[in-house]
Amino acid sequence: MRKALLALPLLASLALSGGEPAKVGAAAPAFSLPSAAGGAPVALKDLVAKNKATVVIFIATKCPYSNGYNERMAKLGRDLPAQGIALVGINSNKSESASDVAEHARKHQFTFPVLKDEGNKVADLYNAQHTPEVFVIDSNGTLVYHGRIDETYDEPKNVKSPDLQNALTALLSGKPVPAAETKAFGCSIKRV
Amino acid sequence: MRLFLLALLATLAPLQAAEPVKHLLPAQYQDRVVALRKGRVLVVNFWATWCEPCREEMPALERASRAFSSKDLAVVLVSLDSARLGPTAVPKFLESKRIPFVCWLAKSRDPQTFIDAVDKNWDGTLPYTMIYDRTGKPALKLTGRQTVESFSEAIRKVMGKA
Repeated sequence: MRKALLALPLLASLALSGGEPAKVGAAAPAFSLPSAAGGAPVALKDLVAKNKATVVIFIATKCPYSNGYNERMAKLGRDLPAQGIALVGINSNKSESASDVAEHARKHQFTFPVLKDEGNKVADLYNAQHTPEVFVIDSNGTLVYHGRIDETYDEPKNVKSPDLQNALTALLSGKPVPAAETKAFGCSIKRV
Repeated sequence: MRLFLLALLATLAPLQAAEPVKHLLPAQYQDRVVALRKGRVLVVNFWATWCEPCREEMPALERASRAFSSKDLAVVLVSLDSARLGPTAVPKFLESKRIPFVCWLAKSRDPQTFIDAVDKNWDGTLPYTMIYDRTGKPALKLTGRQTVESFSEAIRKVMGKA
């Protein structure tokens, strides 16, 4: 009985967090978040059901490292839907409001939704620490890639290791992702 | 009058100008940064000019270091700024804050290569501080922005004076 009582707080916290944290090879934690620009909430399960893959990128409005990828992310937003891949951005920074996020997305011509993660609940669920930080989920809802977009934030014309693209190419051709985990690098997500 | 002008210029000059940054390959980290400073406790602070908490904590590291003798403590900075922007942005920042520490610029197009050469368990979060004991072994790791107090406490702990 005592053991059961001790286990209660743990069970409660798992229920709140939606289960185990994100892990490559396991089911991606479910989430539903409002778009910073307004409109209906976007749910991961709907994206997974309708697409061959879903790319989730944690981004920021004021991080120079994340901003170094704005043009590349805008291009992904234009190119990926035609390949049956959904792209969403998530902003979990406490210091950046929904209106800041919506304005940033408009200014940089992001055609994909950028979701506002108030209280960084989804960042915690995915244990996301950086901006930008990428998670790719396949059509079964399994997390198949976690890490970076590529290795250089300030030399977009000289990318040598297009890790996200490699993961998507492998996924679309039914092959295993060659490097399923890379180290995301960039500004820390501002949780306080 | 001439002496007065010279004295005035001297007061306007930085107290301690930052040294020029030196390039550091991943394979050189252990020899050039760690091994050379054995005998002293070594604080290595990994940072970048684009990293806001790194910029914010740098003065705290400088203030914390003042309480220790240079015979006991060495402080080294390693910037993960890019090769394109780092050579100008890093010395500019260090001079503006009058940070007196030696600073290396990680020479690696791919930050992951450098991160893994330092500590395979480091996920790349900046700022990141490693404190080595006098034998050159990693003794403490600090992730995220620190304060004067947390830097001081960590250094004292590694020195065995906590």
